[in-house]
Amino acid sequence: MTTVAEPLIQARPRRRLRFLSQLARRPSAAIAAVVFAAIVFCVVFAGVVAPYSPNSFDYSHLYATPSWAHPFGTDELGRDLLSRVMYGGRTTLEIAAFAVLVAMGGGAIWGFTAAYMRGWVDEILMRVADLTLGMPVILLALVLVAAFGSSTASLVLILGILFMPATARLARAALLSELETDYYLAAISVGTPPWLIMLRELLPNTGPILIARASLVAAEAIFVEASLSFVGLGVQPPAASWGTLLQKGYSNLYQSYWYPVFPGLVILVAVLSLNTLGDHLQRVFDPAKR
Amino acid sequence: MSEQTPILDVRDLHVEFPLPGGTITPVRGVSFTLDPRQRLGIVGESGSGKSLTALSLMRLLSPPGRIGGGEVLLDGQDLTKLSEREMARVRGGKLALVYQDPMSSLNPVQTIGRQIVEAIRTHEDVSRRAARDRAIDLLGEVGLPQPAKRFDSYPHQFSGGMRQRVMIAMAISAGPDVLIADEPTTALDVTTQARIIDLLGRLVDEHDMAVILITHDLGVAASFCDDVHVMYAGRIVEKSSSEPLFHQPVHPYTEALLNAICRLDFDVTKPIAAIPGQPPAPQAIPEGCPFHPRCPYAFQKCTGDVPGVTVLPNGREAECHLAADRAGAVVA
Amino acid sequence: MIQYVARRVGTSIVLLFFSSIVIFCLMRVIPGDPTITKLGGSIQGVDPRALQAIRHQLGLDQSIPEQYVHWLGGIVHGDFGRSYYSQFPVTTLITERIGATAELAICALVIALGIAIPAATLGTIWRNRFFDALLSGFTAIGLATPAFVSGILLIVVFGVKLGWLPTQGYVSFEAHPLESLKGVLLPAITLSIVVAAPVLRVLRASLIDVESASYTRTAAGKGLVRWQVVLRHVLPNAAIPALTTIGIVIGGLLGGAVITEYVFARPGLGTLMVDSVYQRDYGVLQALVLLAAAAFILSSLVVDLLYGVIDPRLRLRVRGEAR
Repeated sequence: MTTVAEPLIQARPRRRLRFLSQLARRPSAAIAAVVFAAIVFCVVFAGVVAPYSPNSFDYSHLYATPSWAHPFGTDELGRDLLSRVMYGGRTTLEIAAFAVLVAMGGGAIWGFTAAYMRGWVDEILMRVADLTLGMPVILLALVLVAAFGSSTASLVLILGILFMPATARLARAALLSELETDYYLAAISVGTPPWLIMLRELLPNTGPILIARASLVAAEAIFVEASLSFVGLGVQPPAASWGTLLQKGYSNLYQSYWYPVFPGLVILVAVLSLNTLGDHLQRVFDPAKR
Repeated sequence: MSEQTPILDVRDLHVEFPLPGGTITPVRGVSFTLDPRQRLGIVGESGSGKSLTALSLMRLLSPPGRIGGGEVLLDGQDLTKLSEREMARVRGGKLALVYQDPMSSLNPVQTIGRQIVEAIRTHEDVSRRAARDRAIDLLGEVGLPQPAKRFDSYPHQFSGGMRQRVMIAMAISAGPDVLIADEPTTALDVTTQARIIDLLGRLVDEHDMAVILITHDLGVAASFCDDVHVMYAGRIVEKSSSEPLFHQPVHPYTEALLNAICRLDFDVTKPIAAIPGQPPAPQAIPEGCPFHPRCPYAFQKCTGDVPGVTVLPNGREAECHLAADRAGAVVA
Repeated sequence: MIQYVARRVGTSIVLLFFSSIVIFCLMRVIPGDPTITKLGGSIQGVDPRALQAIRHQLGLDQSIPEQYVHWLGGIVHGDFGRSYYSQFPVTTLITERIGATAELAICALVIALGIAIPAATLGTIWRNRFFDALLSGFTAIGLATPAFVSGILLIVVFGVKLGWLPTQGYVSFEAHPLESLKGVLLPAITLSIVVAAPVLRVLRASLIDVESASYTRTAAGKGLVRWQVVLRHVLPNAAIPALTTIGIVIGGLLGGAVITEYVFARPGLGTLMVDSVYQRDYGVLQALVLLAAAAFILSSLVVDLLYGVIDPRLRLRVRGEAR
């Protein structure tokens, strides 16, 4: 009988490249990634890609139904909706992106602190995080808007705060499991200073899980921003976001029922693709979810 | 073996798992017969395919597993050709299976009484009252104290041994002709094991059933079974009535298994005679005789030719190129 | 058993009380003086006495603990205070609008469960890959579709193009049952999608889990046919962990109702909430948030009690009879 000498401490496998091969295995995730990338491309390069300026009026073509000239139709002032959706996406995605940064950054600090300090610090931090568990995000969002207003900065802050507790929980769990590993104990026993361990080992290994989560948070952020803007409490005119476009479309529903359809579909597709991507990433990186 | 018509006739049974990486066949042509009231033991290591054989007889394989070929004749009827509905009628009614993990084999949110009554009423049109009385009788028969009271208890209120008794009661409730017991005592402690085996013996006699006892415990097989089949790598490599098997094994694998058993009069300074190597995974079955990499008697032919069945005197069979020679040396 | 129930109810009451304090303080702490809003945004050139009068009217000249006690005392008597904006009693506003919201929520719940439970169960019975893919797809889309998107789509199709169903307003059930139902159908379908998707996902996962349990095989081994196995053994066991979705359901109903009512211009508590945020009407807002919190706490209480009743392992432990 042969025995294989096992290394005393298992080297931590690098997971970064694995997700690419996994992506190939799940076509839905690959499609989602491509779709979302396309959306981002159109939005970021709207200046180049959009067929019209978002503010150019065309009084001869008000409320036009979709056609080759205007694939999404036009609005009440004759502006091309496709272009408006592309430019409007900038506001939405900008807010969502910053909100994600706030949520992930704040959540990570929150969760990591709790996991590292343990004891009563952990207790308190997690109790606070649990307060918002299960509450519908929309209600909380409305209350926070009542408090902080609807400026872009406020919205970013509000959305960031909304998603922080859940991220904190995730970050805490991720760090806790890293702290149990042999390689961490080995690093400590050798005398590596904690900050170095954090930088070199802990962060790179908790990173993927958080990134996977970030995709889902982004989806929710787009969702909530659109909801708030839709009821008039989010992005304020004259700025346009997908939510405000939808709002306008809704007001003008009886003049042109095509008006709200495309902004709505874009929101749906964006959220769906981010959700699918996020689910896939989670399955790859978070062993608990498998 | 006797001259009665066998109640169960398994012919060249194959069980396969079509997987994305390729199809694996953990049961590769198993054939045996079972007479009414016969006690047959099937022994083998984990992974030999014995549990899968049992499940496939009942057609309870979880997808993607399926029967890849062969016939299973129960009382002349080929079970592999039945529709799902017809097979459901056979299960529990003519053919019953007792599983190896009593701890999780009972529905935790139903009383055990209800579960037994369900088994009874699935096969017989009796009133709930009558079924309940029958169930209580059965619970008493399997040795449960205060059966009437226990009828309304939940599985988690019983110990492992008692749960297994309940499972047995449930299995025999519809009066099957054949009872398959898949490692019924593996999860239990030794004293309980003995009691359960005794119970099985008693029930089998009283209810006129044939039994297939699947186990990796050679001692249990020896004491309980009339005949024993030894399985290795998805095939039956030796068939014999139990006493000759244990005193004079023909197949080298059987011999190795017996040699590996620790006895109280062992010389503790010598190493235990474990069989070197591992049983082959279903995807990696060696060429020729599947046992040859681990066989102390293997020679050139074993690496290339698959041994066929050698029929020996007294109804014994073995799949080994050396079977005839070894049997010749063995029979006085 | 009684002890268990009493303990849970007690905890809930304490939690509710605690929430009311948090909500109240939150409303007082956040920036923005409601008096200013009421005056139209600026206090320049306003007679300080008028300001003082308004403060007094709104009860803001008392200390915070006093205000809280006053508020709480009122609630116990069923008086939720007054709207800062309109001076209407909040209780009246709530009772006027609760009918619309309740009808919507109940219909949405019935539709959602009526879709989710049979769909998940059939999916388990049939074990058909195509059907499963369909269910997954529906779940994914359902989870990603905001209520306003599906609501608008439904309005466009059924209201504008086909003109079959009304797309706004509300007819009370007591007044005209049939009209009322016609009016609630589109919003209820919209809201039901929000609820059905997560329930379907959790239930399906739970069913798959239970499917691989040993006792499922035992049931089949007894001679039960597939649908019997699923209905009698798999579903009851899968429902237990799926009870946790009740929390998600209530949350989804509350949040989704706000948007749905807005889309369908339904005068319910949801639109009231949106309006009160517009107007920074804290009087109304704090009452609504308290109601929402109460709904949560109540639903989690119900779930706990249900667990105790349905799962015999818990039931008996609670009663002290288990081994």
